[in-house]
Amino acid sequence: MRALSLALNFTRREIRNRYLGSFSGGLWALLQPLMQLAVYSFVFVYIFKAGPIFKAGAQNAVATGFVPFLVMGLWPWIAFSEAITRSTTVLPENAGLIGKVALPREVLVIASVGASLSLHLLGFIAICIAMALWGTPIQLIMLPLALLVYLQMALLVLGLGFLFSALQVFVRDLGQVLTQLMMLWQFTSPIFYPREILPEPYRDWMGFNPFSYYPEQMRALLLGSESIAPGACFAALIVALAVLALGIVVFRRLDSHFEDFL
Amino acid sequence: MSKSSAKTGLLVQAHGLGKSYPKVFHRSDRLRALLRLLAGRREVDATTVLHDINLEVWRGQSVGLIGENGAGKSTLLKLISRVLTPSAGNVKVHGRIGALLELGAGFHPEYSGRENIAMSAALYGLSSDEIRLRLPEIIEFADIGHYIDEPVKHYSSGMVVRLGFAVVAATRPDLLITDEVLAVGDESFQKKCVRWIEEYLESGGTLLLVSHSMYHIQKLCKHAIWLKSGVISAQGDVFDVTQAYLSYHERKNTTQAPQRAVVEAQGMEFHLLDVWLNDESHEMPLLLEHGDELRIRTKVHSRDGRVPVVMLGIVRADSTPVYGVSSDMDGAEVTLQSPGIYMAEVHFPALCLLPGGYTVRMHALDTEGVRLFDTIERGLTIRGSSRELGMVRLPHRWIAPNALPNAADSRAGTAP
Repeated sequence: MRALSLALNFTRREIRNRYLGSFSGGLWALLQPLMQLAVYSFVFVYIFKAGPIFKAGAQNAVATGFVPFLVMGLWPWIAFSEAITRSTTVLPENAGLIGKVALPREVLVIASVGASLSLHLLGFIAICIAMALWGTPIQLIMLPLALLVYLQMALLVLGLGFLFSALQVFVRDLGQVLTQLMMLWQFTSPIFYPREILPEPYRDWMGFNPFSYYPEQMRALLLGSESIAPGACFAALIVALAVLALGIVVFRRLDSHFEDFL
Repeated sequence: MSKSSAKTGLLVQAHGLGKSYPKVFHRSDRLRALLRLLAGRREVDATTVLHDINLEVWRGQSVGLIGENGAGKSTLLKLISRVLTPSAGNVKVHGRIGALLELGAGFHPEYSGRENIAMSAALYGLSSDEIRLRLPEIIEFADIGHYIDEPVKHYSSGMVVRLGFAVVAATRPDLLITDEVLAVGDESFQKKCVRWIEEYLESGGTLLLVSHSMYHIQKLCKHAIWLKSGVISAQGDVFDVTQAYLSYHERKNTTQAPQRAVVEAQGMEFHLLDVWLNDESHEMPLLLEHGDELRIRTKVHSRDGRVPVVMLGIVRADSTPVYGVSSDMDGAEVTLQSPGIYMAEVHFPALCLLPGGYTVRMHALDTEGVRLFDTIERGLTIRGSSRELGMVRLPHRWIAPNALPNAADSRAGTAP
């Protein structure tokens, strides 16, 4: 109970911390993905002329156009990767608090993840509504379901956040390595392209990527592309819960030694 | 639920409590430590900070924690307040802890005092309703004026302490833990804090206080624990423990010098062969109760057979002189015992030194009492639990005021 109210308090503080003193305030959090969207759309649509290629490979997936397709992958990805990279370094960043105040350290990770995810969720909902107003056939009615999918992603992110933040205390390079790995992860996930355009062996490998479920499910729900098999949904949930459990176990085991290594 | 059990008795119970830090020098050490911990094994190569601490604090007790820097006081407080996790043994705490461990701990420098109050009160487990309710009280106690709405980074360290203490005071903890932070506040705030702590103790609160100020310890605490290099060296009544600590500490500062002096004096015209305090000639400090008799005897070697002057001085172990006298001042006789060997003895029938650590210095001077040739020092510890101040008890008598003639009358009577 106390941990919960603390986590809420810290999340609020975390959100304020990130934008306290920044010129644009919280607006930047919403603008940043928008800029990325503009850059990627420009590169893929006008430079690489990717639209027709995607369409040829997977009519269904990109039926509503490349930008809405990209939105469904890009927002969850930005939330996902930002939450993970930020939460990874949260313990050293709060070393002052850890050595001086008694608090459940999980709160710090939860607050960091919570701040990233909630900010980008706002952005995601905003852009979905904006696109709907623009005339894109987005099924806004499915937004609550999409929210559930987003929550499921939160479990996965939280698990990875616990895991990486605990390891980061001992292996300080993890943060840097992770930034690079995230880029690799980004391009091996079906964010910029539908899974269908991949050649056969690689296409199935994507099933092992725990993130690939989320853009695809968002597209299925909101853009009405080919729906995901219930088995795959279930598997994704299991994976998210398993990662969360692993994260909690590792975090708990290392928790009592954080202050020795910070 | 734990509240009711806390009401009655034991607040803190530590058993075999220990803390050690892993020795981490190389990059690979961290990785190895990580793998060992993940495998569920304990750290082997470690520096021990605290070892086998057994401790009980009961509701209503006030315990002072004293010891040198690095003795493990802060670590012990952090273990009790669950900021650190013990590496051995365990500590159980029943009830709510309010801990002021470090200056500005839990404050965010960018935020205003007001916002930080809310945050740190939440850290102490107050709900947001309680925080809203007590905010005015906290701000009033901190008493830092308009600074309450400025970011904490612009605060002086005293203001940070004021704010921190005000928050802790408002949480009304079952156990209050403070670590030397009061020393930062100014005189009037220190008084305010001391007054608050006294009221808190009277209303049944429990205190665990680290301080290097024996004044604060003796004023606020009834019990004391002396930590020495990570183990409990003494615990019990506050006066016994603080005095033992002070005499140890003061003596430690003055132990190096006398030995050298004795060696250098070999072959001098006059040199002290030995000093006996109450017939004890060893180097260990002599333990006396206040009011005991002290007998000092000394043996002096005179190279040319001339009669020496013997001088003695009593100094508090921090070298403040208390009393000094020489044989020629008193016209006392220094007796020849065998050729070249003189003896002198002086008695203090009822030593009026107040409890504390002292040093007795014996000096050998030439026949004229002008040149100092040799010095021997001996430690002297006076035990007792007197709350009197100073170094000696001056003979005095208290007179009941109503037994006196009216003060105004007597003044009027004596004025012309």
